[in-house]
Amino acid sequence: MPSHAIARVSELPPGERKIVEIDGRSIGVFNVEGRFYALRNTCPHQGAPLCLGALGGTAAPSRPGEYIWEREGEILSCPWHGWEFDITTGRSIFNPHRTRVRSYEVTVHPDEEPDPGVDSFPVSVQDGVVLLHV
Amino acid sequence: MTTTASPRETPADALSEPPARRGIIDTDVHPNPRSADEIRPYLPPQWRKGFVAPRRPFFHNPIHANRLDSTPPDGGPAASDPAFLREQLMDTYGVSHPILVPRTFCNIHPNPDYGSAIAAAYNEWLAETWLGTYNYDGAFKGSITINHHDPLRAAEEIERWAGHPHMVQVVTDSGARAPLGQRQYYPIYEACERHGLPFAIHPGSDGIGLNIMPTPGVPTHYIEYHCGMALAFQAHLLSYLTEGVFERFPTLRVAMLEGGVAWVAPLMWRLDAYWRALRRDTPWITKPPSEYLRDHVRLSTQPLERPAKDAHLLSLFDAMDAEHILMFSSDYPHWDFDSPTRAFPKMPEKLRNAIMTDNASALYGL
Repeated sequence: MPSHAIARVSELPPGERKIVEIDGRSIGVFNVEGRFYALRNTCPHQGAPLCLGALGGTAAPSRPGEYIWEREGEILSCPWHGWEFDITTGRSIFNPHRTRVRSYEVTVHPDEEPDPGVDSFPVSVQDGVVLLHV
Repeated sequence: MTTTASPRETPADALSEPPARRGIIDTDVHPNPRSADEIRPYLPPQWRKGFVAPRRPFFHNPIHANRLDSTPPDGGPAASDPAFLREQLMDTYGVSHPILVPRTFCNIHPNPDYGSAIAAAYNEWLAETWLGTYNYDGAFKGSITINHHDPLRAAEEIERWAGHPHMVQVVTDSGARAPLGQRQYYPIYEACERHGLPFAIHPGSDGIGLNIMPTPGVPTHYIEYHCGMALAFQAHLLSYLTEGVFERFPTLRVAMLEGGVAWVAPLMWRLDAYWRALRRDTPWITKPPSEYLRDHVRLSTQPLERPAKDAHLLSLFDAMDAEHILMFSSDYPHWDFDSPTRAFPKMPEKLRNAIMTDNASALYGL
């Protein structure tokens, strides 16, 4: 599966997202607290640009009158009709088996050639490259 | 110099004129002012200071009220930038005419003068901006907003705008104190009929301020309230069809916007059946009530019900005579936008054209 370098880690800090076009497909790549995820940027419902939606939590199934907020930062809801998708799998919350959006693997490739730095200030984390596997 | 032209001598430039655009007519589009300050100057001085951007005090949408991608690139509220609306709605989908329905919430206020002043201010604003400076090609068509709590003042407001080249209907909220077929509203329908303007109803202020809920009591949740908006439309439709509104006003047309459509046929089956038995209760109804509906009422499609099987919806379309009564609407920029390309099942071309263009074209004379 070909991989595409889409950003430096420093260009996609936690909480940020980047929409990229790969072979005519629009894909959203997200950094959720240091973990990277990618979903197809098309909602299966009416074709909205899904990856422009809000990333937040959701209310877990509960007893009537009870609200249990969970999975903060892991639920992407469509910018049009609000359909909720698990950012880690692309599966919808209301029907995970039938309604889903394509998800892609994202890895971080260590940077082989760090910038020629100042010796007395070594960096603890190298600025790797975010690879999207499509 | 005077010239006379027979058909044979039609000037060449007239022949080369392109035919009128036959794009989609979107019958429910909501333009917004950039802020309350854009409306304020159109209000009489006594109302200017206190005016705030209209909003429902409760039943706030738990996800978002507008499409998140509808915020204009240069900022401001959704649907406040005409260039971006043209791009996102008209260019993307081939919409030739958005019918603009401002959300004013003018009907919620206890003071009828204030409510009518807000309606009048929005009409001035709409005429100057979206139907004026933004409307270089005449694509935008607008609605005369009225406060139905003051029918006489509402009729005056209709008189004030009738004849405006881009005002194509009168609009008010489905939220009301009484079913809209009752006689206190007749000055409004007289004015509509006098000027050939359809009367449109749109949800949003049901149960707010002066308006009662169409439910027994107040629903608890947004989902319950929002889904139940169709109930007000059913009540208003029954009122129109039993009060004899279309016998009193034989050329009046009513456009029911955003009130749902899948319920229409079963309600008409029920009403026609009761009419056969109870005809003497409303003897001015001289034919099955569903026939008045077909002749006088049009409904916008969004938010279109989508059962699991398309055949079920198409069967309901057939039962309600969708080919003659439905008009496409997207509700742009609201969150429950219906895409012209994705909201509908596959339909025969004639039915599709009727819904997307022809029925609205006939109603609004476009």
